Amino acid sequence: MVTGPALRAHVREAGLAYLLLAPSLVFLAAFTYWPIIRSVWFSFHDVMLGSDKIFFLGLENYQRLWTDALFWKSLANTAFYTLVTIPSAIACALLLAVALDSKLRGMTFYRSAFFYPVMIPSVAAGMVWVFLYAPGYGPINHALALFGLPKLEWLYDSNTAMIAIIIMSIWKYSGYFMLILLAALQMIPSDLHEAARLDGVSAWNRLIHITIPLISPTLYFVIIIGLLHSYQIFDYVYVMTQGGPADATNVLTFYIYQNGFQYQDIGYASTLANVLLLFVGGLITLVALVFGRRVHYLGR
Amino acid sequence: MATLQDPLELSAPATSRGTLAHMRATLRRNWLHVLLLPLLALWASPLVWIVVTSLKTRVEVFDPNAGFLPAIAQWSNYPAAMAVAPFGTYLVNSVLVTGGILICELVTITLAAYAFARLSFPGKNILFTLFLLQIMFPIYATFLTNFVTVRELGILNSLPALIVPFVASGYGTFMLRQAFRQVPTELADAARLDGCGHLGILWHVYLPLVKPTLVAFSIIAVVTHWNDYMWPLLVTNSESVRTLPIGLGLLAKSDSGADWTRLMAATVVVVSPLLLFFVIFQRRFVDSFMHAGLK
Repeated sequence: MVTGPALRAHVREAGLAYLLLAPSLVFLAAFTYWPIIRSVWFSFHDVMLGSDKIFFLGLENYQRLWTDALFWKSLANTAFYTLVTIPSAIACALLLAVALDSKLRGMTFYRSAFFYPVMIPSVAAGMVWVFLYAPGYGPINHALALFGLPKLEWLYDSNTAMIAIIIMSIWKYSGYFMLILLAALQMIPSDLHEAARLDGVSAWNRLIHITIPLISPTLYFVIIIGLLHSYQIFDYVYVMTQGGPADATNVLTFYIYQNGFQYQDIGYASTLANVLLLFVGGLITLVALVFGRRVHYLGR
Repeated sequence: MATLQDPLELSAPATSRGTLAHMRATLRRNWLHVLLLPLLALWASPLVWIVVTSLKTRVEVFDPNAGFLPAIAQWSNYPAAMAVAPFGTYLVNSVLVTGGILICELVTITLAAYAFARLSFPGKNILFTLFLLQIMFPIYATFLTNFVTVRELGILNSLPALIVPFVASGYGTFMLRQAFRQVPTELADAARLDGCGHLGILWHVYLPLVKPTLVAFSIIAVVTHWNDYMWPLLVTNSESVRTLPIGLGLLAKSDSGADWTRLMAATVVVVSPLLLFFVIFQRRFVDSFMHAGLK
C-alpha cells in the first residue's frame, strides 16, 4: 500500500524524469513528430513555399499522385536502388568480414582500407566518382578498354546511370557493414567451426550453416541500418546526376526536393514525403516480419 | 572463408603431418591475400586518384597518353583551390556546427538516458518508443516540413538552423541507456547514502563509468554531422554560414568538371581532417563503429 511519504517520493521521481526528458522531447516533437503530422495535414492542402495562403484540396494531391508517371518512376527507382544496393553491399561486407576474421596478417590495414569510404563526405565521394566515370578521360573506361571491354557512358546513359550510383554506394557502405559483422563474427566460439571442419564440412557449408545463423541477429541489424542509409542517395543524385538522364536516377527524396524547392509546391511534396515514410516503414516492417522471426528461431 | 587453424595443431612437433598442415595453412592464408589484395587496390583507388589528380596539370588530366603519376607535382593547385572560395570560413563553420550538435546531443541524451535507465514514471514505454522511432525518421525523410518550421522560426541561413534538427538523438539515448543499465545499482546506492542526489549520482557515478560509450557515440556523431550535406544545402544561402561539404559542392558546380586538379586539391583538404583523425585514433574509431548498437 502506498502511504503518504512513499507516494510523494513516487511523484517526485516521476517529476524529475519528465524534467530530464524535457529537452529531448521538445526537440523530438518540433523536428521529428510535428513535421510528420504537419506533412499529413499539408498533403490535403494547396500550400506554396513562401505564401501564407492555404487552400483545402481534399484528396486531390493523392489523385494527382496516382496518375503522375514520374512519381511511379521515382518510386520504382528508389525500390530498385534499395533492393539492389543493400543485399549486394551486405553480401560483399559478409565475405570481407569472414576473410578478415581469420587472423590474417595485415588485418588492421585491410580493415582500414575497406572502411575509409565511410569517413568521406557524400558530396566528395559523389564528385570523385563523377570523375572516375567520365566517359572520355575517366579511369574506369580506361581500365575497361585495357581489358578489351567496350567503354560505357555511365552517368550519361539512362541504362547505366543508376547502376553507376549503386556501384559507388557499395564501395561507400560495405566497409561499415563489414565492421559490424566482424564484431559479431569475433563472438562466435571457435570450437564450433573447428568441430565442423574436423567433420569434413566445407568452408562454404560452414558459412551457410554455422556462421550466418549465428550472426543472424547482427545481419538483421545491418539490414535495418542499410535501409536507413539508403535515404542518403539524395546526396549522390544531387551531386552526380540531378535525377537525370531522363529521370533514370530520380528517386523519391530527390523528387520531393524538386517539387518542394524548385516548383515550390509544398502540398504535393508533402504528399510524396508521406509516401516515402510509408515506403520505408513498409520495408522495415517486411524485414521484421520475414527476417525477425527467423532470427529468433535460428538464434535459439 | 578460411578459419583459424587449431593452435595445438600448429605448435605440434614437426611430424610430416604437422608440416603438411602447416604448409596448407600458409597456402590458404596466402590464397586469401591473393584474393584480397586486388579488392584492396579497387577500394583504395578512388582515394589514390584524388591525391594523384590534385598534383597534376590540367593538360595531364585530359591527356590519354600522360602517365598515371604527374610529371612534376603541382603543389600550387592547393593554394589555387583555397583561393577560389573562403575555405577558412567553411572550416570554422563546420567546427562550430559539428561541435554545437555534439555538445547539445551529449546533454540531451545523458539526461534522457538516465531517466529511462534508472527512474520509474508513467508513460515510460510509450516515450521510449517515440525515442526509438526517431531513428527511422532522419532528416532525409522530414526535411521538407522542417525547412518550413525553420523558416517560420526566422533562423534560416544561420548556424542554429544547421544544429536544431539534430539536438535530440533517439539513437544516442538508446546507446547510453544500455550502458547505464550495466552500471551496478550498489554504486548508486552507496552514493545516495553519502547524500548524493540523482544529478550528483549521474555526474559522479554514471558518467565516468560509461566513458567508452560516450566516446563511441561522439565519434559516430562527429563523422555523421561533419559530412552532412542535404540539410546544410537547403538552409544556407550565403558564404558566411556554409560548411565544408557545401563549399566543396559549390566549387564542383561552378567548375563543372573544367578544372579537376583544383577540385581534387579542395577535396583532399575537405577529406583530410577526418581521415587524419581516423589514422591516429584508428582503434577508437573502429571500436566505435564496430560495437555501436550491438551491446
